Amino acid sequence: MRACEIIYRKFHKQAFTVAVRICNNRELAQDVTQEAFISAFKRMKQYRGDSPFWGWLRRVIVNHTISALRKLPRHDAVELEDYMAPGKGDQDGLGRCMDLEQALGQLTDEDRLVVWLHDVEGYKHREIASLVGKTESYSKTRLNRARARLRVLITDGEPIDALDETMNATLNATA
Amino acid sequence: MTANDQWKANESDPLGLRGLDAIEPGYDGWAQIESALRSHNSNQRSWQKTGTWLALAAGLVLVIGVVLRTNENLIAPNPPSPGFATSGAHSASVPVKDNISALIGISQSMEEQVARLRQESASMPAESAIYVAELEDLIAQVDNQLSLTPDSIDLWGQRVNLLLDLAQIYQQQWEIDYGRMASL
Repeated sequence: MRACEIIYRKFHKQAFTVAVRICNNRELAQDVTQEAFISAFKRMKQYRGDSPFWGWLRRVIVNHTISALRKLPRHDAVELEDYMAPGKGDQDGLGRCMDLEQALGQLTDEDRLVVWLHDVEGYKHREIASLVGKTESYSKTRLNRARARLRVLITDGEPIDALDETMNATLNATA
Repeated sequence: MTANDQWKANESDPLGLRGLDAIEPGYDGWAQIESALRSHNSNQRSWQKTGTWLALAAGLVLVIGVVLRTNENLIAPNPPSPGFATSGAHSASVPVKDNISALIGISQSMEEQVARLRQESASMPAESAIYVAELEDLIAQVDNQLSLTPDSIDLWGQRVNLLLDLAQIYQQQWEIDYGRMASL
């Protein structure tokens, strides 16, 4: 039990960050993190020790977060919350950082999931496709769409309707 | 960082999302996790006990069966002479009654175990559900026969065996459900 507590204390913040970034909801992320830690500790024997522990734990967190998002009614999914922590560095950097955080919160659940897993956690399109039960093309298109949206939101704060239409058409074709 | 590394970093994270700060959870959930894990460990021990109990019950049924066979073999081939009929019947009836009481006791305990397993198990596949229904029908048939001949050791033995089969199905289903839950 003591070993579990040490692991919890070491990885709690990282795990919570992944969950919040993907689901954009502090309360949900808290539940997901708790469940994921319990699940991970229960099946600790499955961890073979041939890869970094954080990588294994992160997979559990991501799986639980996706599962929690699937249970949400769609209209509740996007909810920008006031959780932004103060950034570091100069004032411009701080402003941009907060913009990026807010912009991330304005993406759809799927776009946010794909862009976070790919750009931050280093998942391959094949892995993302397998996680969400779609094709690799779907993951690639989602990533392009999410990045494009983020760029627009960071620079202008206004989404481009024409871009949305094109992306939606492509997604419908690849899903 | 070389220009190539810089290019790769920009390619994989062009918006600089990795630069976002980690988020402070602002809560400590360890107590809840610890409590959930303790409860899980105690449940596991309880299931291990159930398994041991089932094995013991099955062993006991086997022993009783062997004892009964031995008794029947001892009594059946040599029918006593008319003068000793009463004393012979009396000596055989004592262990038989003891065996019936033991089987009734096992049957009642098994009934409770099955009820508990049924409560704790989630939904089961159609194949298992059909098997459970068949076993329950068979138990009902045995119960009907027992209402006519309550002292039949054979019927009580059948009842215990059917309940053991039923308990095994529920336990296997629980193990499958538990494995599925843990893999989430």
